[in-house]
Amino acid sequence: MEHMLLLSVFFPILAGIVLLLKKEYQTRDRLLVFVGAALVITGALACYAIFAVKDGVTLFYLTKTLPIYFKLDLMGRYFSLIVTIVWILAGFFSFTYMKHERNEKRYFGFYLIVFGVLLGLDFAGNLITMYLFYELMTLLSMPLVLHTQTRESIMAGLRYLFFSFAGAYMALAGVYFICRFGTTIEFTAGGVIEAAVLQENRTLFLIVTMLMLIGFGVKAGMFPLHAWLPTAHPVAPGPASAVLSGIIVKAGVLALVRVVYQLIGVEFLRGSWVQTVWMTLTLVTIFMGSLLAFREPVLKKRLAYSTVSQLSYILFGLSVMQPEAMTGALLHVSAHAFIKVALFLCAAAMIYQTGCTRVEELKGIGKGMPVMLWCYTIVSLGLIGIPPTSGFISKWSLAVGSLASNIPVFSWLGPVVLLVSALLTAGYLLPLTMQGFFPGEEYDASRFAGKEPSYGMLIPLLAFAALTVLIGLVPNGLTNQLFTFAAQVMQSI
Amino acid sequence: MEIIRNFPCLSILLAMFSAIISSALKGKGARRLNTFVVSAVGALSACTLYLTYTTGESYVYVMGHFPAPFGNEIRFGSLEAGMALFFCVIMLFSLNGGRDKIRLEIDPGKENLYYIMVDLLLSSLLVLVYTNDLFTAYVFVEINTIAACGLIMIMESGRAIEAATRYMIMSLLGSGLFLIGLCMLYDMTGHLLMSYIQASVRDIAAEGLYVIPLLVTIALIVVGLAIKSALFPFHAWLPDAYGYSTVSSAAMLSSLVSKGYIFLLIKIIYRVIGFDIFVQSRIINVLFVFGLAGMIMGSTSAIRENDIRRMISYSSVAQIGYIYMGFGLGSSVGMVASVFHILSHAATKSLLFVSGVGLTDVADDNKQFIELTGAAYRNVCAGLAFTVGSLSMVGIPLFSGFISKLLFSQAAVQSQMKMLPALIVLAISTILNTIYFMKTVIRIYTPIRSKYASVSIKENPLYAFTLLCFIVLNIVLGMCSQPITDWITQGLSVFA
Repeated sequence: MEHMLLLSVFFPILAGIVLLLKKEYQTRDRLLVFVGAALVITGALACYAIFAVKDGVTLFYLTKTLPIYFKLDLMGRYFSLIVTIVWILAGFFSFTYMKHERNEKRYFGFYLIVFGVLLGLDFAGNLITMYLFYELMTLLSMPLVLHTQTRESIMAGLRYLFFSFAGAYMALAGVYFICRFGTTIEFTAGGVIEAAVLQENRTLFLIVTMLMLIGFGVKAGMFPLHAWLPTAHPVAPGPASAVLSGIIVKAGVLALVRVVYQLIGVEFLRGSWVQTVWMTLTLVTIFMGSLLAFREPVLKKRLAYSTVSQLSYILFGLSVMQPEAMTGALLHVSAHAFIKVALFLCAAAMIYQTGCTRVEELKGIGKGMPVMLWCYTIVSLGLIGIPPTSGFISKWSLAVGSLASNIPVFSWLGPVVLLVSALLTAGYLLPLTMQGFFPGEEYDASRFAGKEPSYGMLIPLLAFAALTVLIGLVPNGLTNQLFTFAAQVMQSI
Repeated sequence: MEIIRNFPCLSILLAMFSAIISSALKGKGARRLNTFVVSAVGALSACTLYLTYTTGESYVYVMGHFPAPFGNEIRFGSLEAGMALFFCVIMLFSLNGGRDKIRLEIDPGKENLYYIMVDLLLSSLLVLVYTNDLFTAYVFVEINTIAACGLIMIMESGRAIEAATRYMIMSLLGSGLFLIGLCMLYDMTGHLLMSYIQASVRDIAAEGLYVIPLLVTIALIVVGLAIKSALFPFHAWLPDAYGYSTVSSAAMLSSLVSKGYIFLLIKIIYRVIGFDIFVQSRIINVLFVFGLAGMIMGSTSAIRENDIRRMISYSSVAQIGYIYMGFGLGSSVGMVASVFHILSHAATKSLLFVSGVGLTDVADDNKQFIELTGAAYRNVCAGLAFTVGSLSMVGIPLFSGFISKLLFSQAAVQSQMKMLPALIVLAISTILNTIYFMKTVIRIYTPIRSKYASVSIKENPLYAFTLLCFIVLNIVLGMCSQPITDWITQGLSVFA
């Protein structure tokens, strides 16, 4: 039963390795059948694991006190469900998109491997397992960034690697301390270090926590170590940028949830300088990311900057350390994942069909690709936070939670920054819609005529748009679950 | 069971006699004899390890007719036996991995000389591991140095000879200091057998006599061995010696010769001076600081290097720094971490040297990075092995390097004073490691339409098999570290 956890982690990894080692396929169809089957089977395994498996399972012992251990709690289930949905849909999108890229076999091989690694990361039941899969994820997603192997992509890949490793080692310092002082390294609501020990070494632990925040924050594009993200994400092939920007960055969020709420414990951090610094950093990032996105003319880069900003919405919600705000943050994880993947896939479809990368070149695109642009518009509205979309629910909870937290200055500064940033979001996303549908009377949009993408691309887009609206319409089930989780880790039921 | 007690002595004699016999053999015969001897010694050491690990005791074996405190002794516990086994394994792999190169680069008439040197190196390493007599240790330190010089020089190119000369001078300086320290120790205690020296040293320390001479002695011995094992700032000989010798020599020098001296130092710390007296002396802080400096300086030099072999060599300086940093922590946990790192570094560094040569081979022996672009596609197994080695050096979980870093940091967080510097330098050094190793990995995986021919696995199955063994060794160290640390802990507990 609990071996399903292991199976769903290792099946895609093995499938990916087999694919990488195999000879080149005779026809493209055979490759796609293999990849499609692997994706679907993994999806089924993962869903079974997510919904049916209760117990944990130890794979082996790294050292006597450090087991590689998988166990699903609500957070793990939530994140892995998002990963599964996005990975399968974006995978099917790639089937069409990758026609115009080379080295498809390698791309799909690593795509499958990263799927398994991400599931492993989400299923991880203790700190060391999470760290292991975190590092593996960084390394194995490198080939996706490097795929085109131009000079630009290699430089971006190197940058990605250095930032990630620098972050990971900052975090590793924290791992040592938690292994040393914690009663266990399994994720436990409220923390694993005894309050007396924490108080005794207060300064030390605050510094360590700060290091871990910045370290894991690298992956989530948090200021000051965010500079890799806008260079690394856009150079990958379209669907790969989508999952990098929509899913892989969430690993940083998951790690921070684990560290702050399930290892260090929120009681200890609330009201400390660490919280203040963290909140400041996230607000700076939100504002800066939106502003940079606003000024960026290349669509994919614009979306990458937008990721920087949106990720910090989530981190801000976590840094407030208030159940309602945390619920909002967690809701924004799924909202942003679906929306950002959809946006990147739209950008990919536009590049695939027209070859245009800059926003002003895409004027009038709605004449030729109306369905795609409608999807783009719906998810954009979601990202701005207009009801009835998922983004509205999450931002609402974020603002309410922040106001209810009673932290001086930040409790109202947060919502203000969120609002300003929402305006900027509208400012950088909607011009494409407006100019796309209404290029003006005399503008000649005939070059886009009949460019509507095929169903292979449209169906995933439609699915993401539908998900965005659906969560916005019936959020209660999810919200309640997440709120229970948030309340439980903050021990204020 | 009784007979196993003779095995350490037997393996030393086996290695020495094979060196003598090899001088009468042709190259091929010497090579076969050497392979046989290394495997045989490995098997003997494995038996010894089995005996000592199951009983958990250490045994004394009297050499010759004079009983202690005058005669010569061998003493072995599980740590010694395991170390001997490990050295044999690495030596076998390193020689197999560089077999083709030895054939190509060495004058055919002198091939047997090479294997004589290797046999001598093995015997001297075994003595350094097993002996309980300080003067015997000194004698074999010299034999080790001469054998190592021979291994460097055998290429007979100008740079190799220059490197060997440099190595000779620095090494002799090191052994000179060691000898002076030894003489002073003999003067103060009147003994040469390690256990007896320790008893006297304890008395001296308890009575408060010879405070400064004792300190100077410790300093001389430590510095002498530090020079020989290339601790920063005494590492100037290292990059040339490793960079311009044949690949098997480089692999053995970095993973065996320097480790042999470090093992001798551990032995002196535990068995001659006594761990607590060593910790009380301030030398330990000096080692700590030098270790930290080495971790950073080695890596920065490696980053600046434009020659892959020399880059790997400089990385050794950093790794030796790690080991001395572990000594400097002054706790038994730190010592366990250092011993583990000896294993981990030996396994990784020889892997890197051997796989590095596979990469330079498909670039017409050009060691410059620019020529190595895309080399991993031309020699697939070497590329893969180099990547594994790099990941281990960088400290990715599942590989051996991660476990050493974990052990070092666990040791570091137990020390109040040294925790922060150790952790900070560990982090910086790891990032520096990442820079140069990942730069290389990306370079060799960057595809390019190249003028050089590719090599398939089938052309050299032995080489591919050796690399596979190295990779497996690395992953075993990384994934099953608990039994190994248990063994080290047990070995150290019966070591003194």
